[in-house]
Amino acid sequence: MADERAPQQHNSAPSGPSGPSSGPRPQGGRPGGPAKRGKRNFVRKKKVCRFCVDKSDYIDYKKAEILAPFIQDRGKILPRRMTGTCARHQRWLTVAIKRAQNIALLPFAAEL
Amino acid sequence: MEERQYDLIFICRPDTPETDIDKVIATLEHTATEKGAKIEKAEKWGRKRMAYRVQKLREGYYVYMVFKSTHGEVVKELERRLKVSDPVMKYLTVRLDEELKRQDKLKRHRERRAARRPRKAAPASTPAPTPAPAGEQAAIT
Repeated sequence: MADERAPQQHNSAPSGPSGPSSGPRPQGGRPGGPAKRGKRNFVRKKKVCRFCVDKSDYIDYKKAEILAPFIQDRGKILPRRMTGTCARHQRWLTVAIKRAQNIALLPFAAEL
Repeated sequence: MEERQYDLIFICRPDTPETDIDKVIATLEHTATEKGAKIEKAEKWGRKRMAYRVQKLREGYYVYMVFKSTHGEVVKELERRLKVSDPVMKYLTVRLDEELKRQDKLKRHRERRAARRPRKAAPASTPAPTPAPAGEQAAIT
């Protein structure tokens, strides 16, 4: 599972640096900061929906290689908060993944 | 009733000879045309590794078809055929016309928006005229 998350973050990494305006990391001077002084502030990378970037109007269930990055090793569908997919595309994506599972293009669960 | 479009994928046992697969496709086409549907496409994807085991087999011969019909009876009949035919292990029929319609609509919407706001088009068009005078000059000289 851990190695499944890692590539996702790597993928969104290039878009990251341009997103948050605060350049230097130390003590991130956010307005809401003072209450949590001492704790490390994370600068979260902005994740972008991959399907929105591609401007796709339809997610094809037949293309397993497109859907594969959105499932875990064990076969679970990755949640939106991990992949950054927008609500609309996540909705289409789940349908596509489930269809692909039915015709054995994607696994329901990992085999032993 | 308007015409509906379906995707039909079925998986044959990997050890079936090519001729048998062709036979299955032919019977499907025959029943489909008999019931008033028309087959748009029949593609053989060939032997592929499946994501999980089906009937204790890891590989299967995938065949992909697209057909159009005005009534759903055809689907029932085709699936019945697939169920009784021996080499077929698994099949899936998906109705696609509504999604294609949606795709079309979104595409048109996007194009219209792009046309209405030619913000990106304007800078692109300004460089275009500049070569034209150059060409004229070249013509004059």
